[in-house]
Amino acid sequence: MAVVAPTETYHAVHDHLKLNRAGLWLFFFSECVLFGLLLSARFFLEGIERGELDQLLGLGITIILLLSSVTAFTAETAIEHDNRKLANWGLIATIALGVLFTGGVAYEWSIAHFHRNEAFGTLFFTMTGIHASHVVSGIGILVLVWVQFLRGRYSSKDHWPLAGAVMYWHFVDVVWVFFYPALYLVK
Amino acid sequence: MHALKSVAGAAGLGMIGFYLGLGFVAVLRAMLGYPDAWGGEINIVGGYVLGVIGWLMGIGMWGTWSREWFGLKTYQRQAPGWQRYFTFNTDHKVIGIQYLVTFVVVFLLAGTIALGMRLELASSGMQFISHSQYNGAMGLHGILMIAVAVASVIGGTGNYAVPLMIGADDMAFPRLNALTFWLIPPVAVALLATPFLGGIETGWTAYPPLSTTTNSSQILFDLAIITFGLTSILGGLNFLITIIFMRAPGMTWGRLPIFVWSMFVTSWLALLYTQGFAVALLMIMLDRVAGMAFFNAEAGGDPLLYQHVFWFYSHPAVYIMVIPGFGIALEVISHFSRKPLFAYRYAVGAFLGILGLSGVVWAHHMFTSGMPNYLHGPFLVATELISIPTGLVFLSALGTIWMGKLWLQTPMLFAMAVIFNFACGGVTGIFLADVPTDIHLHDTYFVVAHFHYTIVGGEIFALFAGIYYWFPKMTGRMYNETLAKLHFWWMFIGFNLTFFTMHLPGVKGMNRRVADFPESLDNLNMLVSISGWLLGLSFLVFIYNMINAWIRGPVAESNPWRARTLEWQVSSPPPHENFPEQPVIKGHPYDYGVPGSVHGVFPNAIASAPAAGTAGGGQ
Amino acid sequence: MQKAMQTGLIVAIILAILTIVEYVFAVNFDHDTIRFIGLSFAAFGKAALIVYYFMHVYRLWRVEEAH
Ligand code: HEM
Ligand SMILES: [Cu+2]
Repeated sequence: MAVVAPTETYHAVHDHLKLNRAGLWLFFFSECVLFGLLLSARFFLEGIERGELDQLLGLGITIILLLSSVTAFTAETAIEHDNRKLANWGLIATIALGVLFTGGVAYEWSIAHFHRNEAFGTLFFTMTGIHASHVVSGIGILVLVWVQFLRGRYSSKDHWPLAGAVMYWHFVDVVWVFFYPALYLVK
Repeated sequence: MHALKSVAGAAGLGMIGFYLGLGFVAVLRAMLGYPDAWGGEINIVGGYVLGVIGWLMGIGMWGTWSREWFGLKTYQRQAPGWQRYFTFNTDHKVIGIQYLVTFVVVFLLAGTIALGMRLELASSGMQFISHSQYNGAMGLHGILMIAVAVASVIGGTGNYAVPLMIGADDMAFPRLNALTFWLIPPVAVALLATPFLGGIETGWTAYPPLSTTTNSSQILFDLAIITFGLTSILGGLNFLITIIFMRAPGMTWGRLPIFVWSMFVTSWLALLYTQGFAVALLMIMLDRVAGMAFFNAEAGGDPLLYQHVFWFYSHPAVYIMVIPGFGIALEVISHFSRKPLFAYRYAVGAFLGILGLSGVVWAHHMFTSGMPNYLHGPFLVATELISIPTGLVFLSALGTIWMGKLWLQTPMLFAMAVIFNFACGGVTGIFLADVPTDIHLHDTYFVVAHFHYTIVGGEIFALFAGIYYWFPKMTGRMYNETLAKLHFWWMFIGFNLTFFTMHLPGVKGMNRRVADFPESLDNLNMLVSISGWLLGLSFLVFIYNMINAWIRGPVAESNPWRARTLEWQVSSPPPHENFPEQPVIKGHPYDYGVPGSVHGVFPNAIASAPAAGTAGGGQ
Repeated sequence: MQKAMQTGLIVAIILAILTIVEYVFAVNFDHDTIRFIGLSFAAFGKAALIVYYFMHVYRLWRVEEAH
């Protein structure tokens, strides 16, 4: 080892990107247990029974959320290549699709054929509600990121907040990948 | 001045947030046409949420962190000396001490409540308080102590020691670390407010249907514990990333101090399972606040669902409590036996084995709950399988003590007591895991004795081992050894008298969580109460010794125990950035007496630094 | 850039097709157990695709590649 004169106070250098990314993944693991337990509760209480739902609406919001994942992916890929114009549109589209999805869920709630004081209603409103609250927080984060983006903060070298927000968005999509069939399709 | 401004300002903002939340929900309710806009539990929910946000922003999260989200410049309030303990400080050493002091205070408070309960239980009949007051006291004692058990060792000694022991300059996410601590005061306030709403009548387990119909203190309990769970999860996440990515060069997994290993395993447990408690309480909250039907059997719900979800967390939680206790005990036993830790690999394997098994045994708490009979056998077997890894921990401890040069200082006494006490607790666990005996013993004082042996005997004794062990490092001063030994023997005898005796009324069928009992059990209960008070008074010695030593104890050396792990190779207390330079690890931490072995070195040591040159050679 | 976008779009198309197939299968198939198993497979498959191609899970263990 090379002998160098030690500096007055030493400062360790950390690869913050690596730490942040791994930390976010651990957060997802923890969230998986939350959603997994809700899913288990659904089968524990109701088996595969379900109330009456508007199938086309369900398919529609599912496709919307999937599309929003694509636009989020576009935004991240674009900023990785310093394509600011595409990244901008990617972010705007993701936010818009997220709002559309939330609106779809809200509409679904308003026309539901069951009530929250019966077992399926309880499960349906809780599961979609907790998922939608994640979507809404995701929208909030994306808006904050978008504002910073407009102020020119991100580049291909340094865009962790954007990448993290997009990861979170995909994660919320993954949750829906399981919730959608469990609520709409199993029966 | 700084301290007062910081805390009072934050509390003020918290209050404003609380009332805003209350009012906001009230306005919403009025708009939606509810008759009693102000009267719902949902108002409390709104108030609590905004109150917590206000408190956090006020205490310094706004300046240190949140401004960044809006692209603003962050700043940190600098408070001098002791006042930094009252600010949003991101130094893991400060946070560790904040946790320790807070939870020792909570421990004493909850202990005082228990002494009150023992007063009522000293003889049959009702003497001082009503049944519902007793229940409230019991619930509050229970949940406060659970909080102490979950957070004191992890948040206190873990935060303080782990970065030092692995040679890091801080935790991976220092601001997150500060956040986990500053979420605790709202939890404490909410829990301490429960008596004003009628008290937690359900006990810490909060089983429905009682918890969905009881008084509104339940809602405060739910909110507080969900917040507390959040701190657990975020803390676990932080430890995991720190331990995985920030170890000093040469600190391989095989050279990790055993306490760090225990924290690693515990952090996985906290990260993965704590959501269970949150989900269970969220369901109760939704049943209460939104009129849902999770636990309403009439409408297709099922109270058993709660018990499954709840124990899915709360069994692993007992390992969240005890594994760091094992870690401290093994750590201390190795240093004070002046011998390499026996069967290090097996001990690590044991921790990992417990991690693997702890998720599949939860229903041993439900043998009398009416779950399907075919589940009894598998959960019996899985539960008793855990004795195998637990046995390995004992193997490691006893093998290290065996033929060691025992140095019976206070930390060592406490660590050996952990092994003794936990043996008693583990053995009684076997009776509880056996379905036929459990059907008799369930919900009696036998269970109470069992979990006090495991938690107090296994973890709180380890907490005190840790406090005495790291006290000179944390404060730079030495406590009084004679008083410390007095505390140990007093506490050890008081503890064993109280809780050993407690098995007996349990076997005779005395129900837990009931303020009264048959007259025939009078003598036993009087004995338990007297020994309980004996145990309680032992902490006066501890408090006196700690305060006295912290203020005017003799100055401690940097390594009073001649231990080899990294935290002892720097000054007491360590400098802000922990190490004068990047330490490099060359060998195993416990190789006492192995010729020529070294653990950590500072390759570019400054001559004047206290940790100059090779550190921690074989003794 | 083009290549990365291309991979993403292909994955997105697979996901869309899987979703439609899932839907048509579930609405028209009448055996509870087999429907449940089929849906589970589809869900895990879709999740794996998102986790790998959209969330770039491999970046956890692979050294940062040049874009
Ligand atoms: C050695 C292995 C252990 C076994 C086999 C075991 C077994 C059991 C069983 C079967 C019960 C349920 C009794 C009943 O309610 O009828 C129980 C309760 C309990 N155990 Fe253990 N246990 C063990 C270790 C521990 C440890 C290490 C801790 C904590 C650090 C612990 C804490 C508790 C608590 C808190 C309860 C009561 C929960 C409540 O109902 O409030 N146990 N144990
Ligand atoms: Cu258990």
